[in-house]
Amino acid sequence: MKTKTESKRQAIIKAATEVFREVGFERASMSDIRERIGGSKATLYNYFPSKEKLFFEVMHQAKELELEAITGKLDADTDDLKRELVSFGQKFMFVLYSADAIAVRRLAIAESRHSDIGRLSFEQATVPLEKQVAEFLRKVMKRGALRTADPKIAAIHLLSLLESELLHRVLLGVIDTVKPESLSGSVRRAVEAFLSGYERR
Amino acid sequence: MSKSDSKRQVILESAYQLFRAQGFDGTSMADITSHVGGSKATLYSHFPSKEELFVECMMAALENYMSDTLRHLDASRRDPEAALRNFGTSVLNFICSPEQLEVRRLMIAEAARCGSGKLFFDKITALRSQVSIFLAACMESGLLRRDDPDLAADYLGALLEAEILEPLLLHVREAAPDEKETMLAAQRAVDAFLRAYAPTVSLQKPIQGPTPTCETP
Repeated sequence: MKTKTESKRQAIIKAATEVFREVGFERASMSDIRERIGGSKATLYNYFPSKEKLFFEVMHQAKELELEAITGKLDADTDDLKRELVSFGQKFMFVLYSADAIAVRRLAIAESRHSDIGRLSFEQATVPLEKQVAEFLRKVMKRGALRTADPKIAAIHLLSLLESELLHRVLLGVIDTVKPESLSGSVRRAVEAFLSGYERR
Repeated sequence: MSKSDSKRQVILESAYQLFRAQGFDGTSMADITSHVGGSKATLYSHFPSKEELFVECMMAALENYMSDTLRHLDASRRDPEAALRNFGTSVLNFICSPEQLEVRRLMIAEAARCGSGKLFFDKITALRSQVSIFLAACMESGLLRRDDPDLAADYLGALLEAEILEPLLLHVREAAPDEKETMLAAQRAVDAFLRAYAPTVSLQKPIQGPTPTCETP
């Protein structure tokens, strides 16, 4: 067996990204992806044992980085906490509810019994993001702009409220895509609910 | 129960077991027939397609649970805060049961394919509207501040699921939470909810019955 290289791995991811974009997850096949990069099917499977794994890798990497960048910009010293959270919520939800990210999420749940995609998705994406948000909230609580509470729970509550109007609809396929303009209302309402739940009295 | 109804019930129970064990794709109408006994024609006379059978049997447990729990919620209006706390704990225990987690995974996995997601969503909406009625009554009596009760019900549901559901759904953790854990998560969720919907002091009407106690740390 040849040694795996990072450049080959990246080449596969790039080709797979194109194929998934063009035909979607369901219709894409490992053969399509192999044709685009050349080489044998065995080599491809050596890098990625299944189409699901490859798809997860492609979509997840991209979305994860975007979400971390958005969350990293949260400024705990803001003089307008509501505006800060609304702006964060809109950018965050826009990425999390893009068609690709939704597909990955459905896949992670559907495949969680048969593969470690569910675990990877949770440990590599959900947990770090919750920690980032919790760290932000901890600082906000410390300077007294929110009541003192467990910042980890508060972060989970915030993220859940942001998703509350859309999560079931999207996961169950009632709606497929979310437009930015339809996000602004639900994000603003969720942030208002969060702030009333965590404001100092 | 007529003979036909009891047959239908037997089919639903068998199909539920098979779908849970083998998934939607791994279960055929022939499998279900051989499990139930009788002919394929009888099976099809009750359920014209595997998709419809799938949706019906996945809904059955949720519907039974809904009618039980909502009766409970309705019966305890004298102490709405306690009712909400009990409701929250009960809902969380139900959705975190291995059966319901598997149902949820199957529904999400199959949602796009056979259109069952919409039916499942309609059931969730029906449950929510029952909760909304209760919350609207709390708003009416001044226990909660006035706002859109449907949205409030969405938030209550989201807060309840927030801590525990995702790791279970994704098989990150296998062990079902014990009663203490679900109770604490439900308390934190209901507490955040009650704070978020606390009536504004100036508009507060006299409250009949026990007053909600929100401890401020």
